[in-house]
Amino acid sequence: MSTKGASLKGLLLVTLLVSHMLLTKEGVTSLPICPNGSVNCQLSLEELFDRAVKLSHYIHFLSSEMFNEFDERYAQGRGFIAKAVNSCHTASLTTPEDKEQAQQIHHEDLLNIILGVLRSWNDPLIHLASEVQRIKEAPETILWKAVEIEEQNKRLLEGMEKIVGRVQSGEVENDIYTPWDGLPSLQLADEDSRLFAFYNLLHCLRRDSHKIDNYLKVLKCRLIHDNNC
Amino acid sequence: DLLQRPQISKCRSPEMETFSCFWTPGSFYNLTVPRILQLLYKKSNEEDWKECPDYITSGQNSCYFNASYTSVWTPYCVQLASKNEVYDKKCFSVDEIVLPDPPVHLNWTLLNTSQTGIHGDIQVRWDPPPTADVRKGWITLEYELQYKEVNETKWKELKPRLSTMAPLYSLKTARDYEIRIRSRQRTSEKFGEFSEILYVSFSQIGIGCDRCTEEVEFPWFLVVVFGVCGLAVTVISIMLSKQPRLKMLIFPPVPVPKIKGIDPDLLKKGKLDEVNSILACHDSYKTQLYSDDLWVEFIELDIEDPDEKNRASDTDRLLSEDHLKSHNCLGAKDDDSGRASCCEPDIPETDFSASDTCDATSDSDQFKKAAEKEEDLLCLDRQDNDESLPSFANTDPQGQHRNTQSENSLLWAPFGDSVESPRPSVHTQISNQNSLTSTDFYAQVSDITPAGRVVLSPGQKAKLGRAQREGCTEQNFTVDNTYFCEADVKKCIAVTSHEENEPHVQEQGYNEDGYFTTESLSTTVANLGASTAAPPSSETPVADYTSIHIVQSPQGLVLNATALPVPDKEFNVSCGYVSTDQLNKIMP
Repeated sequence: MSTKGASLKGLLLVTLLVSHMLLTKEGVTSLPICPNGSVNCQLSLEELFDRAVKLSHYIHFLSSEMFNEFDERYAQGRGFIAKAVNSCHTASLTTPEDKEQAQQIHHEDLLNIILGVLRSWNDPLIHLASEVQRIKEAPETILWKAVEIEEQNKRLLEGMEKIVGRVQSGEVENDIYTPWDGLPSLQLADEDSRLFAFYNLLHCLRRDSHKIDNYLKVLKCRLIHDNNC
Repeated sequence: DLLQRPQISKCRSPEMETFSCFWTPGSFYNLTVPRILQLLYKKSNEEDWKECPDYITSGQNSCYFNASYTSVWTPYCVQLASKNEVYDKKCFSVDEIVLPDPPVHLNWTLLNTSQTGIHGDIQVRWDPPPTADVRKGWITLEYELQYKEVNETKWKELKPRLSTMAPLYSLKTARDYEIRIRSRQRTSEKFGEFSEILYVSFSQIGIGCDRCTEEVEFPWFLVVVFGVCGLAVTVISIMLSKQPRLKMLIFPPVPVPKIKGIDPDLLKKGKLDEVNSILACHDSYKTQLYSDDLWVEFIELDIEDPDEKNRASDTDRLLSEDHLKSHNCLGAKDDDSGRASCCEPDIPETDFSASDTCDATSDSDQFKKAAEKEEDLLCLDRQDNDESLPSFANTDPQGQHRNTQSENSLLWAPFGDSVESPRPSVHTQISNQNSLTSTDFYAQVSDITPAGRVVLSPGQKAKLGRAQREGCTEQNFTVDNTYFCEADVKKCIAVTSHEENEPHVQEQGYNEDGYFTTESLSTTVANLGASTAAPPSSETPVADYTSIHIVQSPQGLVLNATALPVPDKEFNVSCGYVSTDQLNKIMP
């Protein structure tokens, strides 16, 4: 009975949060696909990029909040930050680390890198969504965000593949990808180690989502607005 | 002064391309040679600590990392140390420490003014901080605008926005305003510093309101006046309206405080004795509501008086009406028959000055009934002032001090029919064996144990004049001058049962508490013409006690003869009573 009540409350909270988010942010999901209703309708590249940037911003926003909540709830007093010389599983991917490098890289390469990072996060996000539920007394908001991020990441991946299909002249390279082997660390018996693994993963997620958001904005300004955003 | 360690105060990147770290030297600094503090840094994938590349550009006690040293999403650790000691250490990545510079080039333009010229709208514009590369999309900024009148202290805020312009509506043209703006990276929480303050003065562009009248304030005075008038009209109309329900709804009648049985005049006159006595009637009363069935089951009532069926009040039987009125105790003659509407059946209106508002709750009803019985019961105590209570002759000896008013007419009738027939004893189930007509034995309650048992004690023999009863002499009454065995007496009474039409409990000499003792009962019996009772065997001061098993007040007491172990064979066990002494031995 109490769990029922709790899940109802959680559902209500989720509904409120989602509606709040959707109302305060620019509508992430409400853009019509084919406003003109034409048969052969295609979204313009500008619209694709708009949506992609909105999605990536939304994902980064959720990751940031999820990390903050997790930090507040579980990481206080455990000294995680001191140990957080964390290396993310995507560190093996060569990504632009400053503005110069981002300026100089070719947009196709950058798009491929973005795709690679998104693909590399597909698996961890699925497991994050399922494993975070096993954390003792995990707040509903964290649970919900994990699920939401995983969904939105899929949609962004689809959108990016569309963009790449439009932009790329050559064939699409699929080889940029890093496998993730962190699942055992999320399932450790020792609670401290397990929580530290989550902390690391969420920290990496926040960082990588920020990277992708930035790269997409750079690409959008470069390709659509001609460096004059 | 406390010695403070050198500390890294903050590290900040204004545009996500460079960053700087700042520290406080602490009080150590004065003691040591300057510049001995070093800032070392290390990227996450490196092993060695390197020294800060630029101690100058960002000012004193700072370290500046230019674009070539900055990798945005790479974890850094910086360390403040001297040759021997590490004072502070911080780890971060550059994307986490972005705090943009303030916006620049603030200006405003007038959008429009109101018709009266008192208010105006303006549009504020600004440029993003020059260091932030917003054009290429490397950093996305959000702006927050704050404004206030010049002589105010609190700033008003607008919601953060992405665009570099913002409208301000409905500013007073007669006043001057200050505006300031700050920015932050879009997904961060912390804002950078505020920009310079922009002054807005309408008079400068000629819109100044020289002819402006005083601002129209909300007409509080008018609102209050009209509100009060309207309320007064409403109240008066309600009061004057003929609708009693509406009146009741809005102005419910206030119940007058009243204690049942007490005439407020008594208090005024200072007759504290009576007041005390009446108040005592209310004391320690257990509000227990019992169904009629229990009453029926345990107490057998005979109606001697043909009038009694009509009498609602049993206290009438117990007390004389004069007595009642003089003592203002409950139990005035009270015909319950017409009592449907009013809620206080037991209080005669005439005796009490306060006008009763009907307390319509059934609980209070019951309570009053119960309280009344209690009073009836205990009021008998208080009659010691007046020993001449001949009207006790009216009373039915059968426990009528515990009687519900409204049920009288119902209850008494069946009992009335059974006057003649022998009935089981009122007192206990045990005494069902009796074949005599019901005869109640009254007992003086001397104590009530915590367990709820009532300890009966003998009355006093001094005042009793005993009549002798013939037919019972052969009985060996194990009685001192207090109690007869019920069985014994009943046998005696059976002889004279036909004469029970008369109230046979005469008022004898009273003992203090006014309860009937069996002495008085015996005298009553004697008055029936029976032979004298056996003389009290004064040599055996054995009182017959019964412990009261259940106090079912108001209906009565269930006397449990076997409640106490009777180890001593001295008892007349057949009576089932326990004498005082035995009782004292048995009871803890």
